[in-house]
Amino acid sequence: MADNETDIEGQPRIAPDAGAADDARPWGEQTRVVGNRRPRVDAWERVSGAAVFPSDLVLPGMLHAAVLGSPHANARVTAIDTSRAERMPGVYAVISRNTPEANPDWDYFSAHSGKLFYDHCRFEGDAVAAVAAQSPYQAHDALRAIQVEYEILPFVSDELEALKPGAPEVHSGGNRAGTQTYARGNIEQGFSEADLVLEQRYRTASEMHTPLEPHGCVARWDGDSLTVWESTQGVYAVQSKIADVLKLPLSRVRVIGHYVGGAFGSKLRTDKYAIIAALLARRVNRPVKLFMTREQTLLTQGNRPPATMTVKAGVKKDGTLTAIQFSGIGASGAYKAGGTSLLDWLAKDLYRCANVSTELTDVYINAQPARPFRAPGYVQCSWAMEQMMDALADGLGMDPVELRLRNIPAGTQARDDKPYTTDGLRLCIEQGARAFGWQEARAAAAQHSKGHLQRGVGMAAANWYAGDGGPPSTVIVRLYADGTANLNMGASDIGTGTKTVMAMVVAEEFGVDPDAVQIEHADTGTTQYATPSGGSKTVPTEAPAVRRACLAVKSQLLDMAAQQLGRPREEIVFDGDHLRTTDGLESLAIRELDRLRKQKVVVGVGQRQSNPQGVSITPFAAQFCEVEVNTLTGEVRLLRMLGSNESGRVINRLTWDGQLIGGITMGVGYATTERRVLDGPTGKLCNKNWHDYKLPTTLDVPAEVISEPIMLTDEQANIVGAKGLGEPVTIPTAGAIANAVAHALGMRLYDTPINPVTLIERVAAREA
Amino acid sequence: MLTPFAYVRPASLQDAVAALTEGNAHIHAGGTDLLGCLRDEVFGADRLVSLAALGDLAGLRETRDGGLDIGAMTTITDIAAHPLVQRRYPGLAQAAGEVASPQLRNQGTLGGNLCQKPRCWYYRGDFPCLRKGGHKCFAVNGENEYHCIFGGANCFIVHPSDIAPALVSLDAEIETAGPSGGRRLPVSQLHMPPEQDPTRETLLKPGEVIVKVHVPPAPAGLYSSYRKVRTRRSWDFAVAGCALALVMDGDRVRDCRVVLAAAAPIPWRSPETEQVLRGQTLDDAVIRKAAKAAVANARPMTKNAYKIPLFEGMLLEELRKAAQV
Amino acid sequence: MCPRKRKPPVTPPAANPDGWAGFTRRAFIKTWSAGTLTLAVGHNAMSSETAQPDETLAADEPVQLTLDVNGRPHAVLVEPRWTLLHVLREELGLTAAKSGCERGECGACTVLIDDLPRYACLTLALEAEGRRIETAEGLMDGGQLGQVQASFMKEDGLQCGYCTPGQIMAAEGLLRQNPEPTFDEIRRGMSGNLCRCGAYASIFSAVADAATHRKG
Repeated sequence: MADNETDIEGQPRIAPDAGAADDARPWGEQTRVVGNRRPRVDAWERVSGAAVFPSDLVLPGMLHAAVLGSPHANARVTAIDTSRAERMPGVYAVISRNTPEANPDWDYFSAHSGKLFYDHCRFEGDAVAAVAAQSPYQAHDALRAIQVEYEILPFVSDELEALKPGAPEVHSGGNRAGTQTYARGNIEQGFSEADLVLEQRYRTASEMHTPLEPHGCVARWDGDSLTVWESTQGVYAVQSKIADVLKLPLSRVRVIGHYVGGAFGSKLRTDKYAIIAALLARRVNRPVKLFMTREQTLLTQGNRPPATMTVKAGVKKDGTLTAIQFSGIGASGAYKAGGTSLLDWLAKDLYRCANVSTELTDVYINAQPARPFRAPGYVQCSWAMEQMMDALADGLGMDPVELRLRNIPAGTQARDDKPYTTDGLRLCIEQGARAFGWQEARAAAAQHSKGHLQRGVGMAAANWYAGDGGPPSTVIVRLYADGTANLNMGASDIGTGTKTVMAMVVAEEFGVDPDAVQIEHADTGTTQYATPSGGSKTVPTEAPAVRRACLAVKSQLLDMAAQQLGRPREEIVFDGDHLRTTDGLESLAIRELDRLRKQKVVVGVGQRQSNPQGVSITPFAAQFCEVEVNTLTGEVRLLRMLGSNESGRVINRLTWDGQLIGGITMGVGYATTERRVLDGPTGKLCNKNWHDYKLPTTLDVPAEVISEPIMLTDEQANIVGAKGLGEPVTIPTAGAIANAVAHALGMRLYDTPINPVTLIERVAAREA
Repeated sequence: MLTPFAYVRPASLQDAVAALTEGNAHIHAGGTDLLGCLRDEVFGADRLVSLAALGDLAGLRETRDGGLDIGAMTTITDIAAHPLVQRRYPGLAQAAGEVASPQLRNQGTLGGNLCQKPRCWYYRGDFPCLRKGGHKCFAVNGENEYHCIFGGANCFIVHPSDIAPALVSLDAEIETAGPSGGRRLPVSQLHMPPEQDPTRETLLKPGEVIVKVHVPPAPAGLYSSYRKVRTRRSWDFAVAGCALALVMDGDRVRDCRVVLAAAAPIPWRSPETEQVLRGQTLDDAVIRKAAKAAVANARPMTKNAYKIPLFEGMLLEELRKAAQV
Repeated sequence: MCPRKRKPPVTPPAANPDGWAGFTRRAFIKTWSAGTLTLAVGHNAMSSETAQPDETLAADEPVQLTLDVNGRPHAVLVEPRWTLLHVLREELGLTAAKSGCERGECGACTVLIDDLPRYACLTLALEAEGRRIETAEGLMDGGQLGQVQASFMKEDGLQCGYCTPGQIMAAEGLLRQNPEPTFDEIRRGMSGNLCRCGAYASIFSAVADAATHRKG
């Protein structure tokens, strides 16, 4: 640990590694593998059905567990009787607050402490008891036989209600979970300089992650060593939480997560289920599988908090932004969990503005704790800010693209004006608008409108503060005698194509096909430390470490070649899978190195270096959208969308485009179909299934999605020149859709989602 | 996870009827709705009576009078795809084609679709509501955006079927078998208004099974259609739907049936709209008046007033389409 | 060199060695087959000498039946309430069909039953007897991917891969019914499978690609 500086994950930064070439520069224009469209190295496993996801795992002697959750928004458990459940066929163990030896301390997030099975269940679904039985059917039969007495307590489920005087308190001391303010310049002066000032309130509904694979794990003890196969974004994060709660040494907890069926931030950390599975497994001395039911994942396994945002912005006639005032209220849920996390970042960072003030209020409500969800805060803020930008453009009679282009900042204003390493925002907006045919489409929208089918075209832009990646990460690459390689890294591939990208990096360095790279990953027992895959930082964190490990191998190969050829090391260079002398006279394949053939394997260790100081490494995005709105029914049809992204070097064009397609789909859900509904009178979740909580289907997404990458290498970013992509691709989507709908209708909707239920009354009122 | 139940798969209709009269038995046809209800513990079942062995109950047959018999075990896919249905009763084909998802249409049956349970989230959730024998309808003071604007009385569900409104518009009948023999009943009289009994969805008696549906011959000049609006475009129930059956004489509406879906606890025939249309030429003034008439007597709840402009707008769109044919 | 193409399928871990879950202490095993059913619907009847189709099976009494999965008969012992998905995954170790919701709302468990895509989570194992059940494992030819699988790989019609075997079976079923679907027919045909990673646009490309190659 070289210094005390910490990165955004709160992880200490580490010193540059020794051994790797310190003069490593990003690849040049010419790459052999990097930049291609490359099917996934594990596509065979995923399409054949051979991939064993944690929920697929069946171990000898394995039992099935299930968790009983509180059915109330806020209740105290006054008595539990598990005796009938314990006698049921196939039941091996029941744990609850009645089993103190299986009820460790548990805190949701640091500010609170309680027990795993706590007397006070502050949100519906919080764990009350758990069962292990021979079959999943028997486990659920036993849950039904557990008798629980609850004292039902007053609740509050709306973040605005929660702030009113006299609202029921989720925790004693009031429902304010935290406040945060930010200011630069002089906001009042900014407004006084403006020719146009607009103010508007926006609300975004809570969105639930609901990855297709439910949250859960399989736990098995070997003596006092625990192995957990978990559907997770980060095996090391799971390991540390389990070790912490169960008071185990880290070396006694092994976590494996080779496949994860979707996560989106909801599997960055683990949850009570992993502790429960481990406790039950220890109690019965058999492996235990515990996966949440779908209903439980909706009740307890993550949400993007709802937000109420007010934006007041001032602009001059020439389009210069003079002031942005942003206030946001978000809901952490029943425990402090980042209800306003990053909520104001786009307001203070995306467009150039000298006078900015923001105020955030995080609120407790009786609902499950929030979790980071693909660009936390940014997606909510984009809905508000990007609509405000369009409203300002309308007010000025200026093209929305033009207004944005007039306010491109040179650096990150929220972080000391550090200059950006690229002009990505401008490039995304300009190149995206060109490729989309923005001006033509915008001008032709009215002409394409027919009666009640109104066309509209809209756009939105974004940046993302965490796409730089950074230490710590350690990677080991082994080169085998036949020139093929083994890559050992701790990171999870959550579906973004991490393994494929890393295999392409190795393949680029060793002149082999990516299929010749064997990958071991996401196992605390056998692979190196990595932070969870999230924050769009996996590629920029891991890929440079992978490349450095390759360079460490290559350095040794150079020595071997120098010895074998009797030439100074400086006169030998790599050429694909060969080494040759600079005079071109001698050449030999890597696998022809005598020393390698004797030694059998060369090992290289790579570590992620610190990022350069004094600059901001930031990815950028812009999206463009064309819609058709049926003014008789309120139906919105998405005709086409284009996404333009600057995330540095494109390593795999195929999975790059996949990220964009997926990000847009998720944004479509946010904009049009998804909304958590908590029942007013009871606080209970109304839509705890996938019929009532509506993810977009194939018929909801645009017929045409176009990816328009900005092809550049961010030379300053790191030695692969790549930045994060997974979050920037979803941030602007909902705002772009809202702007297109507004363009079609000539009126705005300020709350998510936009669909017939929320749209038709507004449209009809105007027509009448 | 499903609770335990016994299972029987009778070889004859008679045996099936007999099996249904003992204890708390439920029919398993396609099972798509039944298993969901059992999982949610909306009701329990001691025994499932599978109709899978009753091959005679599946299939579509043209009848001598030029109508169509559709067996109760015919899948939704088979109805939607049948050439005769598509040609003569496009409204029925469209309704079937808009049901749920391809997989559910491959499994769900006509009988099951007519007898399905409401999708109200209080009914399906762990709320002791009136329909489950409780004392109140939670939607009244709750989240009622998907609930009814007609015919609520004491329970405010909407009937979830797309096919039932289409069949009502076509004046179809069901034929049943039961412990005391079979009977024929118009589809329009199959569903139970909640003021009569909020705990039942149909007027079928214990042990009574729908055997088939008879669609009468299409009169000359029949125009039929089904339109469904929902918050997502597939795999969703209607927030508003309408089945039109207009018997046209040139551009004049000789006779008509207009049936609304997702408007009421039962498929909701709109006599107000029909009255405006009957005998009239489908010009825009008539269409506007007819669409307005459809919602004139609607009684929205706290969060579903949007359904009024929605039904009106949808009918405008659909009737204009009909006028263009 | 492309070693992956020749890689044999990984066999998922074997089922519970203690025997049939929950039935270890039971004395009787009832064998039962749907003779009438197979006659009625006319699919691949499986022979059985003990056809008693209209006898009530008790809720807590397991019954032995034979399921035709991927062209092979599998004798399994099931409770009436067990779904086809449960039997495929937990009893037969065929885990391509995934458990995403167990309520017919995601499509991750999509299998073909007599060539038609259906949700295995909403199908009782007893109801699947006598029918041809196909899972993604059954599309493989040794280690060789089926055409739809190969097209999903080529077009990257996936991200995390959890919904993918179900998507593939929906596509396979669609193409068997309609070998040359239009773009809109593909969208409709695939509208019963959720992908939270949102790979729909790539899935459309994959299905179109599979249709093209199946013809040839």
